[in-house]
Amino acid sequence: MVELFRNIVNIISVAAIPLMFFIFVGWGIVRKVKVYEVFVEGAKDGFHVAIKIIPYLVAMLVAIGIFRASGAMDVVIAVLSPVSNLIGMPAETVPLAILRPLSGSGSMGLMTELMKVHGPDSFIGVLASTMYGSSETTFYVLAVYFGAVGIKNTRHALPAGIIADIFGMLGALFICRTFFGV
Amino acid sequence: MLNYVWMSLIVIGLIVGVGKDISDEVRNTYRNGVPMDAVVCVEKTPTALRQTWEGELVISSEAFNRFYGITSAASEVRQPVEMTTLSSGKTTIAILVDDSSPAFWKEMAKNSSSKDKLLGTVNAVKFSEDKTTVQVSFLLEKISYVKIRAITKAALDYADTAVTISLGLIGVMALWLGVVKIAEEAGLLKMLTRLLRPITSRLFPDVPADHPAVAAMIMNIAANMLGLNNAATPLGLKAMEELNKLNPNLGTATNAMCTFLVINTAGLTLIPATAIAIRAAQGSAEPGIIIGTSIFGAGCATLAGLVSVKILERLPRYKKDLLVDGHNSESSHG
Repeated sequence: MVELFRNIVNIISVAAIPLMFFIFVGWGIVRKVKVYEVFVEGAKDGFHVAIKIIPYLVAMLVAIGIFRASGAMDVVIAVLSPVSNLIGMPAETVPLAILRPLSGSGSMGLMTELMKVHGPDSFIGVLASTMYGSSETTFYVLAVYFGAVGIKNTRHALPAGIIADIFGMLGALFICRTFFGV
Repeated sequence: MLNYVWMSLIVIGLIVGVGKDISDEVRNTYRNGVPMDAVVCVEKTPTALRQTWEGELVISSEAFNRFYGITSAASEVRQPVEMTTLSSGKTTIAILVDDSSPAFWKEMAKNSSSKDKLLGTVNAVKFSEDKTTVQVSFLLEKISYVKIRAITKAALDYADTAVTISLGLIGVMALWLGVVKIAEEAGLLKMLTRLLRPITSRLFPDVPADHPAVAAMIMNIAANMLGLNNAATPLGLKAMEELNKLNPNLGTATNAMCTFLVINTAGLTLIPATAIAIRAAQGSAEPGIIIGTSIFGAGCATLAGLVSVKILERLPRYKKDLLVDGHNSESSHG
């Protein structure tokens, strides 16, 4: 069942991009759109968007870099340990939960490390990979998406994003304890 | 909120970093100025051309742990060393740090002047009868301000990374914006929008149902679901640009932008490809076992995010940011 679902999604994922190109361009030709000219017209903006993101991304990544390099993560983990103990989250996975919204490459490294030490099919290994798959790098998405349109006042996007992250981590913990529980 | 979080990351980072360095200094974690005793098994004796001894430094794990007041060294420490007698009569020592070195020394070497060696001066040398081993007492170079150095390096490195990431987006951005523009001109996006109107009009009540922003958002969410990261970001940015055309208050996020962003940060995907690939690489018997659990986890995140974004947008403190010159701007675009 899982295998079938996985195969179907895999096929869609592999074929999606070429199929999308084919349908979009094909449809354009049928509707007599000057495809080449229109493509170039649209593609022109690519450069500007990418350049506009730079200051936002520099601000965000540098702050996260300073935080991680200082070892402040250990302090946060110590502060959070009573909470994580209470909800039954293994101490080893707490750093991953904190790092997940902050740094994509950092949390990927941490997940790999946990699997290397505890084995990918151990409870901690399954939980770590589920936690990684249960959320996105919130701060990166925020910086890139808002940066592209020059939004400085992000209003309630960050609190809502963090609430989503917390529930993602709690959901991952709950489901893993239910099915692979210790 | 972002202002405070950003500031906290930096301030907490600096305070913890400086605090750690001060405590290292007070406790002399790296044993600056304390001579260390060891035995060197000599492999190469000096020649007329080079006044250098080469050999292997041997310290028992107990002695190593006792010296640094740690417990991490498990086996006997054996490291290649070079000792050079200078013309002034002073002898220097260089410990070549590699992968097999104790973690503590690796950490120290990273913060030393040469990055892969620990340099020092030899105070006393005592040869054995047959000259194959030598008792040495040496002082390693001073190691200090480890965290401050790390913070400086991280700040500069990450600034560089940010630019690399942004510039790396140019190509795929251009590709997707071009393709989407064709779909837009061909009227394909309008059809897509009409199809999903019942859902999108509820999620984004402020956005006109047939606005191009809706189509871009739908395509972004679909790409995210399929795990097509290369396509999702450009489509998402296109959606943000379209949403910004409806923004009466440039520089401030609209309700629709925040809702869209939260859907993206929750990261619902049908196949968490990265996690599965790493599981497989780590020799998992069932790498795909996390598909269901990840969908559940990300589903929780999406649901919680949507509920909280809809509640938070009604709070007066976030609502007042939408006012333009004292008038409620929401009425201007339905």
